[in-house]
Amino acid sequence: MRFRQLLRALRGGGRARVAVAGRRGLLSAPGSAASWSKVVSEAEKLVGYPTSFLSLRCLLSDELSNVALQVRKLVGTKHPLLSTAREFVYDNQNNLQMRGLVVLLISKAAGPSSKVELSSQPDMVSGIYSSQRSLAEITELIHTAFLVHRGIVNIGELKSCDGPMKDMQFGNKMAVLSGDFLLANACTSLAQLQNTKHRLFQDEIEANNLVVELISSAIGDLVQGIYYENSTLEETRLTDDIGISTWTEQIFLSHSALLAKSCKAAMELAKHDAEIQKMAFHYGKHMSMSHKIHLDLQPFIKGNSTDSVTFSLNSAPAVLHQEFLGREAWIKQIREAQGAGSILDYTKLQEAIKAGKGVTSAIDLCRYHGNRALEALECFPPSEARSALENIVYAVTRFS
Amino acid sequence: MHCLQGRSSFLSFPKLRSIFWRLHHTTASRACSCSKTVSDEKYQDPFKLGRKDLKNLYEDIKKELLVCTAELREMCEYYFDGRGKAFRPMIVVLMARACNIHYNNSKKFTLLWLLKGKWEVQASQRSVAIITEMIHTASLVHDDVIDEANSRRGKMTVNQIWGERKAVLAGDFILSAASLALARIGNTNIVSVLTQVIEDLVRGEFLQLGSKENENERFAHYLEKTFKKTASLIANSCKAVSILGCPDPKVHEIAYQYGKNVGIAFQLIDDVLDFTSCADQMGKPTAADLKLGLATGPVLFACRQFPEINAMIMRRFSLPGDVERAREYVLQSDGVQQTNYLAQRYCHEAMKEISKLRPSPERDALIQLTEMVLTRDK
Repeated sequence: MRFRQLLRALRGGGRARVAVAGRRGLLSAPGSAASWSKVVSEAEKLVGYPTSFLSLRCLLSDELSNVALQVRKLVGTKHPLLSTAREFVYDNQNNLQMRGLVVLLISKAAGPSSKVELSSQPDMVSGIYSSQRSLAEITELIHTAFLVHRGIVNIGELKSCDGPMKDMQFGNKMAVLSGDFLLANACTSLAQLQNTKHRLFQDEIEANNLVVELISSAIGDLVQGIYYENSTLEETRLTDDIGISTWTEQIFLSHSALLAKSCKAAMELAKHDAEIQKMAFHYGKHMSMSHKIHLDLQPFIKGNSTDSVTFSLNSAPAVLHQEFLGREAWIKQIREAQGAGSILDYTKLQEAIKAGKGVTSAIDLCRYHGNRALEALECFPPSEARSALENIVYAVTRFS
Repeated sequence: MHCLQGRSSFLSFPKLRSIFWRLHHTTASRACSCSKTVSDEKYQDPFKLGRKDLKNLYEDIKKELLVCTAELREMCEYYFDGRGKAFRPMIVVLMARACNIHYNNSKKFTLLWLLKGKWEVQASQRSVAIITEMIHTASLVHDDVIDEANSRRGKMTVNQIWGERKAVLAGDFILSAASLALARIGNTNIVSVLTQVIEDLVRGEFLQLGSKENENERFAHYLEKTFKKTASLIANSCKAVSILGCPDPKVHEIAYQYGKNVGIAFQLIDDVLDFTSCADQMGKPTAADLKLGLATGPVLFACRQFPEINAMIMRRFSLPGDVERAREYVLQSDGVQQTNYLAQRYCHEAMKEISKLRPSPERDALIQLTEMVLTRDK
């Protein structure tokens, strides 16, 4: 069975690299949040400014100020836009702007292409071209736009406990508008990517268009990925019968495609060759897969948390758990965890998953992707930027 | 999709006829002033001219929307069912031809350019028509979610059938497909011009959110919103095809101004019909704009005669009875007539602009279109 082979490969391949990386403190990490912040702040120094300012220019616009005022009316309602907005302002986890940071780092790590004469290159600041900075911002804009668009609610499915319909409708309106605004800004910036004063040469024009194509296709991927995400959220369909490989494909679309293609596009902007572009793509892809699995694992890893637990039945540990257990047994466990009124007792289900092999194999999968990401970095010359990218991988594959 | 039409049947009868028609008109009208229309062979229906180019419009749009999930594809294709009048793409292809002819006519006249079919719409110009329709549709899908609309073009809206979450995603997907198609044209200038539309559409929606307290500002605000939400698309798509067809910046400006003026006029008439079509037909008001809290042309004009409307505008017609009262005021006032008159002026401006191009059946069709904008009854 293909899945078993995959697991064997994970365990075999994963351990070796992780052991090497262990010198970096992989096993002796104090706590993921603190070290993640450290990784991020050191990385930010390398790229010249805190990336938390990346989308700020956009936020200062009249339109979004207007939205911010309107969103205040949502306080006290249950519209998802409110929590998205809150997370944006009070970012404890420093998860924000991660994509932009990675794009900047990989641009710096790759440096200028050997093909291009130094004299005809546009200026670099902190080793990064302004077009690459712009691209980093565009990536963040798109990511944020979809965070916002994910928070739309279906009016027809509202229950009385969700509050007045009017509030939800209003929230939807704000969410659609602000998401559209962010997307429109991304499109405009994309169009202006190499808006240099001198006449664009043919290959620069081509590069520009290739980048627009790449990013546009990434948006399409993101939509499809979120579409799959949506399908699994519908309560009537408890959990999809998808194996880990289908899950990986879908998660690639919703969580990796954007960063992977942006990294590739950043290389294109610097006119790097196909091999470098491919490696950058792979770094982006595997690093974000790792990150997603890391996030999925949090409810199962955090020690003796007395907080009420919820997790997605479509998260990595759950999907892997189902893969091991078989669909019937999994459905049985879900039913057993359902109390009166079909309300899921997440704690009970969490225990069932922890008792199985879902969690450990998710950790292995996370490290597998982490290793693939590290491998991709090998084509870049050693540098602080490259080390920062490595540190990011270590941070997301760390489970203390 | 991208192959030039007409090449295979090089000297077929219809093509010969077309060539000789153009030969006749180019030689005959070269001497006359450009501002007169070629009157004798007035086409009854300007849409006929563009029909061939737009024949497979919706099929080609669907090709751009290739996506694995059946339901997502179904949602995206929902409005590309051929039922719409394709008004915008029609203007685009007519403008494309008019500009192509204008440019090629300026060269030393030879039979060769006629035989080469230089008036034909280029593949990239046709792409602009497709992209324009996609951008327009994507915005409609989102607008319906924002307005909580449940019907459009005689059928249920996407959000009504599939829910708001998926509707928003469908709109995003259509937009991304449009953006991809745009990049493939390979012209950074065109990318900028059409991306401007995407930005304007969103800003237009935001303008609708806010309102101006000052009466004088209100009208300017209304016209700006109208430009961004409706006219920008037409103006910029006209400009885009003119860029592809002709290097002269004066022509680009003509195309842009035509599109802008026609677009504004179109929306003004739309706003008028929101008041008048109900009165004529069912006797039951639709007044959709009022219900959304929007004060459009007729209302703003009526305000000058009935200052009571001001307070209603400020509260966006939210109190019970506001909508009915406002509507009555409007019908009592000269609001409708004033708006019509304003639309006429924009159409006249459009006509003036487009007449600066060298004569062609397509140019005349565009002139005729401005008249049709005014006389439509939905």
